[in-house]
Amino acid sequence: MLKREYPPFDVPCSPLNSLELPVTPTYNSQTYTNPVTQPDVSPSTMGPIVYRRPMNLRTNPQAEQVRKSPLHLSVTLLLVSALPALASKPDSVPDWVRAAAQQNLPQYPPNTNAVVLLEDTTYTVAPDGSATEHFRSVVKILRPQGRDEGIIGVPFDKDTKILSMHVWSIGPDGHEYAVKDNEMVEIGYPNQGSLFEDLRIKAANAPARDPGGVVAYEYEQRTHPYLTEKTWFFQSQLPRLNQSFTLELPPGFTHGTVWAHSKETAVIDLEHQRWRWQIKDTPPIDLDQVELRPSEFSLEGRMTVHYAGPTLPAPTEGTWQSIGEWYQTLAKDRLVATPEIAAKAKELAGDKTDFYDKTEAIAEFVQKQVRYFVIEMGIGGYQPHYAADIFRNRYGDCKDKATLLVSMLSTIGVHGALVMVDDRRGVIDPDAPSIVGDHMIAAIEIPKDYTSPKLRSVVTSKSGRRYLIFDPTWDKTAFGQLENNLQGGYGVLMEGHESQIIRFPVLPPDLNTVRRTAVFQLHPDGSLKGTVIEKRFGDLSEHRRELYISGDAKEQTKYLDHLLGQDFTNFTVADFKVQNAEALNKDLTTSYSLTADRFGKSMGPLLMVRPRVLGSDQLYADRKERNNIPINLNETMQEQDDYTIELPPGYVVDEIPNPIKLDLGFASYESSSIVKDHTLHYTRTYTVREVTLPADKYPDVLQLSGVIAADEQSKAVLKKQ
Amino acid sequence: MNQTSRCRLLCFSLFSALTLFATPLTLAQWTVPTAEELSMTSQSEVPGAPAVYLFREETTEDKLHMFSTYVRLKVLTERGKEYANVELNYTHDSEGSSIVIDNIEGRTIHPDGSIIPFTGKPYDKLVQKTQGVRVMSKVFTLPDVEVGSIIEYRYKLRLDDNWFMAPQWFIQSSLYTRKAHYTWRPTDQQLISDEDGAPSTSISWTKILPAGAQLKQTQLPATGLSNGQYIFDLDVHDVPPAPEEDYMPPISSFTYRVLFYYAAYRSPDDFWKNAGKHWAKLQDKFIGPGPAVAAAVRDLVLPTDSQDQKLRKIYAAVMRLENTNYTREHSAAEEKSQGLKEVRNTDDIWTRKRGNNDQITALFVAMARAAGMKAYLGVVTNRDHSLFYRAYLSMSQLNDDIAIVNVDGKDEFFDPGSRYCPYQHLDWKHSQTTGLRQGDGGSGSLETPSEPYTYSKILRVADLTMDEHGEVSGIVKMTYVGSPALYWRQRSLIGDDESLKRELRTLVESLMPAGADVKVTSIDKLEDYDQPLFVNFQFKGAIGSATGKRLLVPADLFEANTKPTFPHEKRDIPVYFSYGLMNQDAVRIKFPPNFTVESLPTSDKMSFQKFAVYSLNSESTPNSFTIRRDYFLGEIYYKTEEYPELRGFYSKMENKDQETVVLTTAANKPTPTGN
Repeated sequence: MLKREYPPFDVPCSPLNSLELPVTPTYNSQTYTNPVTQPDVSPSTMGPIVYRRPMNLRTNPQAEQVRKSPLHLSVTLLLVSALPALASKPDSVPDWVRAAAQQNLPQYPPNTNAVVLLEDTTYTVAPDGSATEHFRSVVKILRPQGRDEGIIGVPFDKDTKILSMHVWSIGPDGHEYAVKDNEMVEIGYPNQGSLFEDLRIKAANAPARDPGGVVAYEYEQRTHPYLTEKTWFFQSQLPRLNQSFTLELPPGFTHGTVWAHSKETAVIDLEHQRWRWQIKDTPPIDLDQVELRPSEFSLEGRMTVHYAGPTLPAPTEGTWQSIGEWYQTLAKDRLVATPEIAAKAKELAGDKTDFYDKTEAIAEFVQKQVRYFVIEMGIGGYQPHYAADIFRNRYGDCKDKATLLVSMLSTIGVHGALVMVDDRRGVIDPDAPSIVGDHMIAAIEIPKDYTSPKLRSVVTSKSGRRYLIFDPTWDKTAFGQLENNLQGGYGVLMEGHESQIIRFPVLPPDLNTVRRTAVFQLHPDGSLKGTVIEKRFGDLSEHRRELYISGDAKEQTKYLDHLLGQDFTNFTVADFKVQNAEALNKDLTTSYSLTADRFGKSMGPLLMVRPRVLGSDQLYADRKERNNIPINLNETMQEQDDYTIELPPGYVVDEIPNPIKLDLGFASYESSSIVKDHTLHYTRTYTVREVTLPADKYPDVLQLSGVIAADEQSKAVLKKQ
Repeated sequence: MNQTSRCRLLCFSLFSALTLFATPLTLAQWTVPTAEELSMTSQSEVPGAPAVYLFREETTEDKLHMFSTYVRLKVLTERGKEYANVELNYTHDSEGSSIVIDNIEGRTIHPDGSIIPFTGKPYDKLVQKTQGVRVMSKVFTLPDVEVGSIIEYRYKLRLDDNWFMAPQWFIQSSLYTRKAHYTWRPTDQQLISDEDGAPSTSISWTKILPAGAQLKQTQLPATGLSNGQYIFDLDVHDVPPAPEEDYMPPISSFTYRVLFYYAAYRSPDDFWKNAGKHWAKLQDKFIGPGPAVAAAVRDLVLPTDSQDQKLRKIYAAVMRLENTNYTREHSAAEEKSQGLKEVRNTDDIWTRKRGNNDQITALFVAMARAAGMKAYLGVVTNRDHSLFYRAYLSMSQLNDDIAIVNVDGKDEFFDPGSRYCPYQHLDWKHSQTTGLRQGDGGSGSLETPSEPYTYSKILRVADLTMDEHGEVSGIVKMTYVGSPALYWRQRSLIGDDESLKRELRTLVESLMPAGADVKVTSIDKLEDYDQPLFVNFQFKGAIGSATGKRLLVPADLFEANTKPTFPHEKRDIPVYFSYGLMNQDAVRIKFPPNFTVESLPTSDKMSFQKFAVYSLNSESTPNSFTIRRDYFLGEIYYKTEEYPELRGFYSKMENKDQETVVLTTAANKPTPTGN
């Protein structure tokens, strides 16, 4: 084989050009890259980063997760580059760190990155409602991947001031280190993208964060809680040996607790209005390599303390009702409609008299015409902007969009309410009232005797009022339906004294469908020619709608090529057409002509043909281990394929795959291949009826996965006559 | 800032004030959109594009220490609305070189011509705050943006007095640009670089421009007070988006642009000669060798050793050090706490027994010198990131260090900073690339050699036995040589044994038919960088698709899940692979008496010119079949016009790879995969 000269790239370039400057007095010049002019042409720094993140409630878990999780890689780099050199006298760590580090560890699986040796929180509430949190943590790093545990970050904002923060570490060799104040940095909240949030992080890189090393930190933070609750998150990806949460309340104050994803632990009364909860040997929530896994946060144990006292004006009392009443005080004046809002709502409703029609018009306006964009500071993590501002700017975050929708509807006589949810199904526990959640949607009250088959996501409250649940932030879910990740989960209906927890329905599979039909001719050389029509409805059409509405032609072609590349090695596509990309309540229909060379594989006198020509319903469940983790099937849905293959002359069918019929209750799969009039006809239907399953159903899921995989690869054997 | 410049600050402030008063007060005007701009729904050159720049303008006024930017952008799709969110970075430095962004104005124009002014307030977002420096962002978003809107905004970026910054015009972005205009009115003052204090006597520039675009330079007539003002102008139109393809060369730094510098040099030769000399001198200062290195070398080598023997011993010693690029960097504070002083030379690296890529490379050079050999440092552009562009006068494009040692009269290349790189070889990222090298008495240009395709090999062997139900079990052996071996060895440095085994297992699982049990049974020669890396697996699972009386088995199990390399018919830019290699597979499956081979893939051979070769051979016995597949890639770069033929070669090869072995059985019905 010859090696050829490495060719030059065809770059139109020029040699250096220069212009001599006259010699005149001296000034400084900055020779580094202009930080504005360079990135300004780059969309990634110009602002338009993907903003379709429906998580914009600032909640306790958000902050806690930052503290308890390793920081983002970019933070690591920033810190490495930013920390100055210093230190003088030998460092030493506090005795409580040393004591924690000396514990004997149980035997952990080899993939355990680190172990939390100690985590203590003391939460002290003052009579005026302000609170001080004192936090200590000691973590031992067990393997290289655990080094990130040594990158410490504590979030804060104008309402949560860090009074003190210390970071220590002990190297694997026993050397002790203390991080100095001037070695710490402040960084903006990671992954802000186009958002503006005033949340910041005080961060430090712990020295000696190597396997065998121990990292500890302690901070004290004063907060002005927006509501009278505090949630203790005591479970994470790491095993935890010793944890405690201590509550200190002023005289006359009372408290109660609720527990989510965990059984309750007995409280220790320390007297003088002090209580402590202690937990030992908390197992990790390890979802690494777990197929069909739920959100970690939906499994992690937490305890929420609600407290009340004579000097606190509006305690939340640990009920969903009190949380709703508290939120109403925040949102009430934000929902007020202006004449401009009313005029627009009237314009959209027009002369429509049907409830669905007029609410759909307004809902789609908010869904499509109000841009998702987050600006929040302090209480703004919870409190929406004024409806008037949202309407004027045509942008807002999820609670802003829900607020504007409720406001607009109010002007045409339709009542609506905000609903706090978490976009990770299972995070909100109906038995553990708290403000934990990350998203806001809307509930639209349905008139008493009104019915319509178009209203699918309907919830009835305890008082008998019916609501249509709609998420105006989820811009590819049709009005009347609800995105799959909320289905089967819970939300807090914010209806003043009627506030309550509500469960969202699991929608039937026929609202989330893929239907492929194709007619092909197979030629003796194995090439396949034909036409394909694919219809998608519901969430299964979401990605493609996004692609065909917003993607450019190159991106669309690339996607289709990638998709067909899963089933063909050499193919061409022609006459590609898309219909109804923006009409969410209609089938997204794509059609094209397809030619695939060597689709049929000639093996001597045989020609092998895959009856399932294209499209995969594969259920990714290869891993055998489950560890009692519930199964997340994500969405109910139905996929149907109907392919007709006209067989080549001179060949007869020697074998076809056996029919399959499997019904497991939560899902079913049927397929059949039939030969008639020298035509091979393949059909299959795959239906998923549940969104979650208990872990003990995993063998059934594995069976289903295996059956689908086998059917997708099965072949018909044609023989030359 | 020194005393002189503080004095100049005052002078300049007065001058600036006079200039401002002398300038006619003009209010910035918005552009009236044309009917075509209002009604347009797409740009024919970029169908489906989210947005296009109707106009961009960047103006740099050195006398005002000001950069002014004006943007007119048409939103064409939902995704295009994202361009209404603007984030502008700037810094606050307590040392006085802060940047201010102000005069932010904007508006949105709907397709019906209605105008919504931006009346909001830009937010200041913290990016990072350290001692003395705050990196911030100005964040704002334009109001009521819808598909079809034209968004306009402008802002000014101002430097502190006495500070100047040559503009850099990045003309090509991810969006199509209809028109753009760039202007720079440079200062006529002589400047001093804040990096090295060197005076700049000229303005230089590097340009990569679309055909027909001309950078204009004019000089206004001199006035009594000063020389005539120089003005640089550039008008461009119909600039396509920057290309992006799979398997594309690392050409992101070759988009259309003009980069200006206040320079002390008159030509690229002048720059590279001087910058290289400065670099070489600095490196020599670090390299030494010092007494600790010299002592170490005395312990390592024998006077009677040949040069090659000495160097091999030194290389082995250096390879044993902790390379912190794969573990973690130790902060200065941490080292000081351990009683270690600041790293000043290679003695410090040897003493610590750790260093980063470049420090370890320098140590190797130092030790070679201590052993009496001529050894030099080279610095190259990492081919994984970019390509060297000589006309761009910046050392920043040279990323990584390599070593050059004269062995028995011949310069040989080494890559000790890439831990586990075989002796006398380079990591592929450092091969076939360009840079600078030290030489006797200075520096010179450097072109690193390429590795032949025979240097990198992947050998995959499956020796399996099928049971009467069609399930197979047995041994899979992978052998990695050259670049693939280096990849896996370096992966082992990032994690631990557990993570390496998991990655290797996941790799085999991704290659082979789904649902199999794969276990790594041994990894051999992981640290023996001059030897092939061997990985053995235990494999058990169903691999075929069963019909009533047949079992169809993928011929080359290792290619069972391969997808098309080049699914797209069209290609705008050349094809680029990281390195050439040899990939050889052998699959043997012994089957029980109830099976017979009905059909095997026919042996075949194909090639693409003389740069890629493929062959597949099959053979069978009454109780086994064997498939052998060879694929050699000899060239890493293919011109755009070669793409159709290259794609054809890959398509044929991948089609052949998907052929099956047909086994028949009359007695027992095989179990289909997954059942």
